[in-house]
Amino acid sequence: MPDICFYFQVHQPYRLRRYSLFEVGRAHDYFDGEANAAIVRKVAARCYVPMNELLLDLVERHGGHFRVSMSLTGTVIEQMQQWAPEALAGFRRLVSTGCVELLAETDAHSLAFAADAGEFVRQVDIHAARIHDVFGARPRVFRNTELIFSNALARHLQERGFAGVLAEGADAVLAGRSPGFVYTAHGAPKLPVLLKSYRLSDDIAFRFGDRNWPEHPLAAARFAAWMHEAGGDLVNLFMDYETFGEHQWASTGIFEFMRELPARAFERGMGFVTPSMSLERCGAAGEIDVPRPVSWADAERDMTAWTGNAMQRAALDAVFALSRAVLDSGDETLVRDWRRLTTSDHFYYMCTKYFADGDVHAYFSPYESPYEAHINYMNVIADLRLRLSQGRSAARGRRRQQAVQKVAA
Amino acid sequence: MNVLMLGWEFPPFFAGGVGVVCEAMTRALSHRGMGVTYLMPRGPERTTGAGVRVLSTSGTLPAPAAVHPAAGSAATCAHDAGARDIAGRIAKLCYAAGSGNRAFAGSIDGAAGRRCDAGASLVAGACSVSGTTRAAAAWSQGVPASGCGSLYGSGLLADIDAFAAAVVDRVVAAGIDYEVIHAHDWTTFRAGLELRRATGKPLVAHVHITEFDKSGGEHADPAIYALEREGMLGADVVVTVSERVRRSCIERYQVPAHRCEVVYNGVEADTAVLDPVCLDAPMILFLGRVTLQKGPAYFLEAAARVHAAEPGVRFVMAGAGDMLPAMVEQAAELGLGGSILFPGFVDRHQAAILYRSASVFVMPSVSEPFGIVPLEAMDQCVPTIVSRQSGAAEVLRNAMKADFWNVEELAEKMLAAIRYHGLARELARNGRREVARMGWDGVAAELESLYCRTIP
Repeated sequence: MPDICFYFQVHQPYRLRRYSLFEVGRAHDYFDGEANAAIVRKVAARCYVPMNELLLDLVERHGGHFRVSMSLTGTVIEQMQQWAPEALAGFRRLVSTGCVELLAETDAHSLAFAADAGEFVRQVDIHAARIHDVFGARPRVFRNTELIFSNALARHLQERGFAGVLAEGADAVLAGRSPGFVYTAHGAPKLPVLLKSYRLSDDIAFRFGDRNWPEHPLAAARFAAWMHEAGGDLVNLFMDYETFGEHQWASTGIFEFMRELPARAFERGMGFVTPSMSLERCGAAGEIDVPRPVSWADAERDMTAWTGNAMQRAALDAVFALSRAVLDSGDETLVRDWRRLTTSDHFYYMCTKYFADGDVHAYFSPYESPYEAHINYMNVIADLRLRLSQGRSAARGRRRQQAVQKVAA
Repeated sequence: MNVLMLGWEFPPFFAGGVGVVCEAMTRALSHRGMGVTYLMPRGPERTTGAGVRVLSTSGTLPAPAAVHPAAGSAATCAHDAGARDIAGRIAKLCYAAGSGNRAFAGSIDGAAGRRCDAGASLVAGACSVSGTTRAAAAWSQGVPASGCGSLYGSGLLADIDAFAAAVVDRVVAAGIDYEVIHAHDWTTFRAGLELRRATGKPLVAHVHITEFDKSGGEHADPAIYALEREGMLGADVVVTVSERVRRSCIERYQVPAHRCEVVYNGVEADTAVLDPVCLDAPMILFLGRVTLQKGPAYFLEAAARVHAAEPGVRFVMAGAGDMLPAMVEQAAELGLGGSILFPGFVDRHQAAILYRSASVFVMPSVSEPFGIVPLEAMDQCVPTIVSRQSGAAEVLRNAMKADFWNVEELAEKMLAAIRYHGLARELARNGRREVARMGWDGVAAELESLYCRTIP
């Protein structure tokens, strides 16, 4: 009899405004405050606020036996603090019930693990501090940006003392085995890995409102039966929180489905667990070997959505090449801007693998094309680089002046 | 199935894009197994290698070599020498960038009639054709060569009527077998209507450009407008080369929407990618008629901004047209004298050399029904910018786009393609792949199905 482990990803990037190459050296505000405020307010109204209320209601109704886990990025927390405080208050109430486990990740929702090991550690620490600060919680289980996972990540997390990690239950990883058990990764025998049951997860996240799907409309009782049939120790349902009300509109019946699902699961004897609980209850059933990173993106379930083309690689190289200089600058605004530029969404907007061949990509991009996304991003990086060099020469000037004053005194 | 096409020009007796388009279209239809006859007012009669029968109503004009637009004072050496010349001059222009920015101002000084570089045999040739040769050159180019009088004078209208008067007899005399008439652009519509009246066979009117596009705005010559409209309304189906032309046909010519269909142009993508010509300075290319419609002034305005940011970049404005002298002057005023080259009219061979040398290709057209040139550039792996006011912008995904009037955006994208290597690489790679999928075979298949629907 499997237990059900929900994990919801809550994230919004700081989208860039249209920043022209001719503004380089003249303007240093990169982010589209208006659009970001409008989007976070819209998503809060459609998803965060109603879904938080719904989950709170489920926790209360089922006397604390209904549990979920969530990961909130630093960028979404900051945007809620600024533009949607009522949504953040809802998350706080949920966490205070003790039935919601918060997970660890990079504060900026970045690709730092692959690009810059030192910065990865810093962003994970910043996030942990923020989660403690905002929610009073200390995350023990890790999830990487877009569920990117590899043996190397597992080894690193084991060294850092994490209790476990979440990953995509990709076919290539499982090689015919069920995602319904706890595994460990090659080279990290002490770090349990929870793998996403992607078929069942995607039934909710992607197919729920699809009228052409033979199973449409999906009833909670039917879905509970599928989970029951899946067997194993666990059904890991990992998805974006925005699934509820944003990717799947309220009119699809997604909220009613969620409201009913726990009762249907309890009827069949299944329970709800958080990642920490499942790691404590279940021993590892085997080892997975993931030498090359897997993620939860697209059919490929690899890194090509962010690093697949020359523009993306050039942009990643450009932003992480600045990391030493940015941190040395001691300029807090500059550091903050730079970290927001490491968010994975910026690189995703430059993805050409579907665009170039004329497919309509299912995901939203604020740009007309991946080429526009790249130009805009590189313009911003050019200005950031200029700020750094100007900052350095200004610092040199100050030191020189101080030295002169000392001599004069 | 057999189609009779009516056209005004056919390679090698051409200069405008429509001739190239017609040749590729007839070849693809012929490869599909259709019988294709192409009838035009004047030009040498022959059967092409692809099996297309080319006929003319007068059939008596001199052989193409003698009326080649590059012919003129230096007629004998026009082709090869022209190609060598242009390669050498581009190299000189770009090497100059590395060797102290040698001034090209000298080449754009001089008397009004000879502004276009005394040594530029191409421009000189286009400007100095005379007598009947000049008329033929202008006629085949589809534009008046600079200072050579107007294409759209009373002579042309008389030619149109003469073509219409002669077409039925010529078709009967040649014993042409066909089920559908396909007429290309307004100059042949009257002949198409005449044939339709005489035979009852369906007429497809193909609109490659409207009078509004040519004038780059709201103004149309009333006589031409009347001929266009007469043809469109009298045809069984109107085919346009883009959605923007289709909208124009519906809104400005009152063609019923259900009789108006878009068939996008294809491109000959089977050419091998030529080795790039290595230059020590990036070069940004404009290639097209230097007329209001093509937006050359916006290219220069953007070039000036690029020049201010990257003085090492070089520019080439290739093509002839009535705005060429003004553009040469404007370039000098903008301080681009040492950085820009005006080679005048270029043939396909010379164009290939230009593409091979270019880092960025720009088509800043004010109004462009389709625009085949950017596809040729992309086929040669050149990162390309097209104006949003072009039909090509409707279909191209792997080209950068900008409004023609937004010279800052044009300049930004030119600079981006030069500075951001990842961008240039992706545009080149994906652009070529995209063009490879836009072959004429698909166009021929669309046309065949359209003919089938048209035949009663």
